[in-house]
Amino acid sequence: MTDIQADLARPLTLARATPAARERGTFTVLPWLYLTPALVLLMVWTYIPLVEAFQLSFYQWNMLPTAPQRFVGLRNYQRLMALPEMRNALWNTLYYILGLFPMSVIIPLFVAIWTQDLTGRARMIYRALIFVPMIVAPVVAAILWRWLLNEDQGLITLGLEGLGLGRIGFLTDPKYALATLTWITGWKLIGFSTLLFSAANAGINPSYIEAARIDGASRWGIIRDIRLPLLSPTILLLSMMTILFGAQWSFAYINVLTNGGPLKSTTNIFYLLWEYGFQTMSAGWSSAAGMIAFAGFAVIAAGCMWLMKRYAVYDN
Amino acid sequence: MTIKASETSRAAGLVTPKSGRLRRLAIHAMMILLSILSIFPIYWMIVTSLRPENETFSTALWPANPTFENYAFVLTRIPMLEMLVNTTVVAAATAALQVATGLFAAYSLVRWRIRLAGLVHGLIALSWLVPFQVTMIPNYVLASRLGLLDTLTGLVVPNAVAAFAILLLYHAMRSFPTEILEAARIDGAKSWRILWQIVTPNMGAPIASLAIIAFISAWNEYFWPLLLSRKPENSVVQIGLQMFMTQEGNLWGPLMAAAALASLPILVIYLILQRHVIESFMKSGIR
Repeated sequence: MTDIQADLARPLTLARATPAARERGTFTVLPWLYLTPALVLLMVWTYIPLVEAFQLSFYQWNMLPTAPQRFVGLRNYQRLMALPEMRNALWNTLYYILGLFPMSVIIPLFVAIWTQDLTGRARMIYRALIFVPMIVAPVVAAILWRWLLNEDQGLITLGLEGLGLGRIGFLTDPKYALATLTWITGWKLIGFSTLLFSAANAGINPSYIEAARIDGASRWGIIRDIRLPLLSPTILLLSMMTILFGAQWSFAYINVLTNGGPLKSTTNIFYLLWEYGFQTMSAGWSSAAGMIAFAGFAVIAAGCMWLMKRYAVYDN
Repeated sequence: MTIKASETSRAAGLVTPKSGRLRRLAIHAMMILLSILSIFPIYWMIVTSLRPENETFSTALWPANPTFENYAFVLTRIPMLEMLVNTTVVAAATAALQVATGLFAAYSLVRWRIRLAGLVHGLIALSWLVPFQVTMIPNYVLASRLGLLDTLTGLVVPNAVAAFAILLLYHAMRSFPTEILEAARIDGAKSWRILWQIVTPNMGAPIASLAIIAFISAWNEYFWPLLLSRKPENSVVQIGLQMFMTQEGNLWGPLMAAAALASLPILVIYLILQRHVIESFMKSGIR
């Protein structure tokens, strides 16, 4: 794992570590001048809006500049918690995340371990090919799969029919739409995760493997007792990414392909925020739902960071 | 390292030649499957886009009579070229600004030990955890107040800084030998000159990595343009693509041609800089 990934995964420990090293009693303007562009932009476009969204979550407002904002206290939150839509969106968010795990962590992990002996030209070619989905734009990915899965003439539909399995409404049947969108989200990640695991796996000191082999460890024993523990930082990092961002990654596919339907079956929490905000124009509801999501994910992020510190095995 | 591991396993006689060959075969089969899965949808996009209208639904792996008529159709229907130019401008400006703000901030954090450095670091790193959908309404209100709706500037400005850009450059700079910085400082070089003449020229590799990632992510950005853009000619290609899909969603040939045009620049960059692109993304993680 790289420093940056470690940093992004552990901002809090970093925040605590640095002040000890500072010089006392000197204050110069120059360093702050260099920091100004970054800090001003972060304040104006991230932190102040976050505070404003928090405030908005206690108001009723239809987003028209001329319309008044009416204070409603906690009513937005109460209404949201009672809405079946909200519960449905939260469940779907969980499905997206759990559904992504096989593609963003589990399969890549085993593919990486299993294919570690690959070398030379073949390895480079596979590497170049499986990385491609990562750089394909989400809108393009959505359109590609919309064509392949098209219910009338899509290649996969024709293939299924050839096998005598009949047509499946991948994007129009509430039973399958969520799984389809999860698959498209995962399609972009599977190759990248595999490469990340391969790199981490190749970085394991071969003398550990050698020593275990001399001790008569089996292939599976080596994987279980040496490789998996030493891969744990990457496993935890990718798991954390999937949990925190999985539902956000799927946003583009939902908006391009299903608009949250059929029958709300693909609406996740981030899509719900967007619907409340820019389709039904209820800024208060959107902000309240946003705060619930943000608080929830912040708690999960803190938990993940704690887990990473506690359980990740680093080979120093 | 992997070479060594496999050699030793062979040398130790743990893998008999026959089962070894079978295993290799299985490994290749698995990787070929994964490669096809990754690349086939894109291949199918290109093939479909090159088919004449009466062949659109053919399942042949290559069009019998390849033609560019779908591309011509797209160019007459939507302002595709304008949108490609817009997207290039937006992505290049975003990348340049992320490099600039990142360089300044990273330099400040490496060169000086300021009070509140921990807080600054925390603010930068944690901004990454704030989902954009949570701040979108205040951002939208601010953008409309500043008159940034339906402008390219509006698409760039909120993305002019990125936590990962600052942290990437921060780590790269931290490994820069401090003796050189000290020497320059003792020689009386101003911090500005040290940054441009000493630090930046040595940051070529991380700056290039960052620029590649920033350009590609800005090119693929969808959500913010979705909020901001009104007219296709003022918008980026992702929005144009979605509009085209909504209007002509079942003209599969032209739709694939539009998608191909929208991804062409990125695919070309990837073909040329393939190893750099992969390594840049692996170094900085997913975003």
